[in-house]
Amino acid sequence: MNRAVLAVAGSRKTQSIVNACANGPTNVRRLAVTYTTSGQAELERRLRSTCSPGAVPEVVGWYAFLMRHCIRPYLPLKYPGRHLRGLNFDGEPAGGRFATGARRFLDSDSRAYKLHLSKLAYDVVLVSEGAVIDRLTNIYDEIYIDEVQDLTGCDLRILEMLMNADGIDLHMVGDVRQSVFDTNPRDQNLRKYRGVKMLDWFNVHEKSGRLDVQHNAETWRSNQEIARFSDTIFPPKFTFQATVSKQAAVTGHDGVYALGAGDVEEYLATYRPQPLRPTIAVARKVELPFQNFGAVKGLTFERVLIYPTQPIMRFLTMGEPLADQAACGLYVAVTRAMHSVAFVVPDPSATRLRPWQRGL
Amino acid sequence: MIERIIVEGYRLFQKFELEPSDGLNIIVGGNEAGKSTLLEAIGLALTGRINGRWVEEVLNPYWFNQQQVTDYFSSLSTEAAASPPEILIELYLSSSDPDVQLLRGVHNSLKTDAPGVSLHIRPSDDYAVELAEYLADATRPNILPVEYYEVQWRDFADARLHRRPNGLGVAFIDSRTIRSTHGVDHNTREMLTNFMDAKERAAISVAHRGARQTISREALNGVNERIAAEGVALYDRTLGLQMDQSAAAGWEASIVPHVEEVPFAMAGQGQQAAIKVALALNRSATSTAYVLIEEPENHLSHTALTRLIDRIQSLAGGRQVFITTHSSYVLNRLGVDRLRLLHAGKASAFSDISAETVGYFRKLSGFDTLRLVLADKLVLVEGPSDEMLFERAFLDTHDKKPIDAGIDIVSMKGVSFARALELAAAIDHHKVAAIRDNDGKEPEHWRRPIAEYLADGKRDLFIGGPELGSTLEPQVVTANAADEAALRQALGITDESTSTEEWMHDHKTGAALRIADSPTSIVYPEYLVRAIEFVA
Repeated sequence: MNRAVLAVAGSRKTQSIVNACANGPTNVRRLAVTYTTSGQAELERRLRSTCSPGAVPEVVGWYAFLMRHCIRPYLPLKYPGRHLRGLNFDGEPAGGRFATGARRFLDSDSRAYKLHLSKLAYDVVLVSEGAVIDRLTNIYDEIYIDEVQDLTGCDLRILEMLMNADGIDLHMVGDVRQSVFDTNPRDQNLRKYRGVKMLDWFNVHEKSGRLDVQHNAETWRSNQEIARFSDTIFPPKFTFQATVSKQAAVTGHDGVYALGAGDVEEYLATYRPQPLRPTIAVARKVELPFQNFGAVKGLTFERVLIYPTQPIMRFLTMGEPLADQAACGLYVAVTRAMHSVAFVVPDPSATRLRPWQRGL
Repeated sequence: MIERIIVEGYRLFQKFELEPSDGLNIIVGGNEAGKSTLLEAIGLALTGRINGRWVEEVLNPYWFNQQQVTDYFSSLSTEAAASPPEILIELYLSSSDPDVQLLRGVHNSLKTDAPGVSLHIRPSDDYAVELAEYLADATRPNILPVEYYEVQWRDFADARLHRRPNGLGVAFIDSRTIRSTHGVDHNTREMLTNFMDAKERAAISVAHRGARQTISREALNGVNERIAAEGVALYDRTLGLQMDQSAAAGWEASIVPHVEEVPFAMAGQGQQAAIKVALALNRSATSTAYVLIEEPENHLSHTALTRLIDRIQSLAGGRQVFITTHSSYVLNRLGVDRLRLLHAGKASAFSDISAETVGYFRKLSGFDTLRLVLADKLVLVEGPSDEMLFERAFLDTHDKKPIDAGIDIVSMKGVSFARALELAAAIDHHKVAAIRDNDGKEPEHWRRPIAEYLADGKRDLFIGGPELGSTLEPQVVTANAADEAALRQALGITDESTSTEEWMHDHKTGAALRIADSPTSIVYPEYLVRAIEFVA
């Protein structure tokens, strides 16, 4: 049975893949796919330390999966005589959005543009008339997909075909609240499931009976106050379950705070939080070892210090809802923290948060 | 299993295709028919190696089909210059084994969806300029500059291969025997190492290093102390003897297989061959899916060969086995339906042969089936008298021996004509004349049951009319009725009281021998004459 586990940040999603692989029957061929390269290295390390030698599943990145198993073996069926010789990570086809045929997908060295990789994969899957999926069914019994929320458009079409295939079980874990990447910005397929709305995609397939969807709202990372705050980031229309914290450590400075720019130095010296910002465009003049929201997925910090954008500020003060993608970014940032989250704002008392002041 | 083999431009194969069957494939053919080359090609595509060395390292101009190379160089001076010769070896596989399915895709010359591997040797794009310069040079020798070639070893999913893919285990048993100090050849060494798992190998390596350490520390200690005492005079730093701990002195080099306490290299040649086969076939079918055996009959006594054949048969199991052979015995025992005849760079199969005929030759394993298979033109006769008479008649007609005209005469000695003709019909590339006695019956009586194996101008049965005599001897007498004295002279009959027919009946082989050796010629029965016309 195909399975999707949608779970809050800190609910040990990746660990659930590791456990399934380590505790499952040994004669099953497994492939673990993850979206980011950092996620791939982390998953591989944990699988190696947990699974018995010889039963460690193969781990690949999503792009490698598309190239190795969807495109490369059957590319000539779509573009006769062509070979796939690698990935063009940053390039765009000459002719931009108007490039057609093979030139839209492959550069002069026969490398595939990352920009259109999913579409190319989907095209080849279609033209292979089932051979791509049949080949995969013969090679693997179970395919695990970590951070499934990062897949969009044609990626989802391919997942749908894997779900429909007999002889292969698809196991997906992810959190639609953390869909901070827009992976296929030009892809017109399944646009209605972009970002947090991917929840609808899971619902459709759950209703069709092809997919078993489980929700998990327990976090092992953030304390209850941070968890409660993270729940407010998305408007109630999404009907996410309230997050329950299993992390009850008391440090003397726990929860969500607001402070003025003048107090930052003192705050840093006292609590040593990790400074975070949505993008490098925010807090340009501030000299701190920042990390951007998009880069900290999957990481844990004891405390974080966040420099907000104007929309986040309005959310903090007036409760104005955030756009979906901005909400995802903020959710990722807030849920990195175990004990405390602090926002740097012009007027702490204007927010709905606890103000923090020097000497207080 | 390998479903299809395509070899292009490799040695004597210009464009070769074979669809081997599951299980045993017995490859026969005349000399230079490409038997060993075929096994070599299969090994190349499966392992990327030849004699244990990577293809790139040993690539040489003589691997290319010489006809294609010659044609290519002569085309260069014409308007329509051909493209440089290439070598392509493709193995199309069928298996639901996940490891094999990884090799699946459409990157093959048939553009079909199948798992498989291909070895492609072609001019490298990186050296296009150098190659053009070489070819433009008028003083160049007409030899392919393989330095400008590249070897592409890929699977049908278009992934470059760096080592033999899992699921394509192969054991190569060649007939060469080992007399080197290394103890075993590469193929055997590999089979032996595969016998042990990684942990065992590591444990052996550690124990071996420990043993060498002990020798250095204990046995060599006294020597080293003495050297140290006297050595100051030799050199100003400490000299000493230690066991070699480098990779070259690894356990692989010092551990060799023994046969009943005798080192492998010292064992008899037959034993070596038997051990290699046993090693290859005793392993699990998953670790050796393919077994290539070259001429197992070499160096083996008949009984040893029988044992070996039995072993090949019983252990083959789920494997696909390719055997080349020159021995009819090997062929008969393993089953003539398993036969793959290589002829003029093409292969024909014999799977249509009936199970009864396969069983028949398996029992009569001494019969020289291969002569039947390999001959260009074939004459089947009942026994030695017919053979001698045919030979002499042919010599008298064409002034040369049948063998010099490419005609092989096989004496059936009781083997069924029908079975032999069934086999010959399956080969279909040569002319076959079957000559037999009528035994008092009309020719049609003998022709009817084997009609399906006969073909106009290709395979025919030659029988004399019963009114002219029921066997060879009376037929000869009838044919010479006009001048019986000449016949009696040729036969050297001195006893006037015996009739020619009676005498010939009593001296069957002797009579034929005398006619064959006689300085004078006789008249030959009409059906023999027709047979000679037919095959000549």
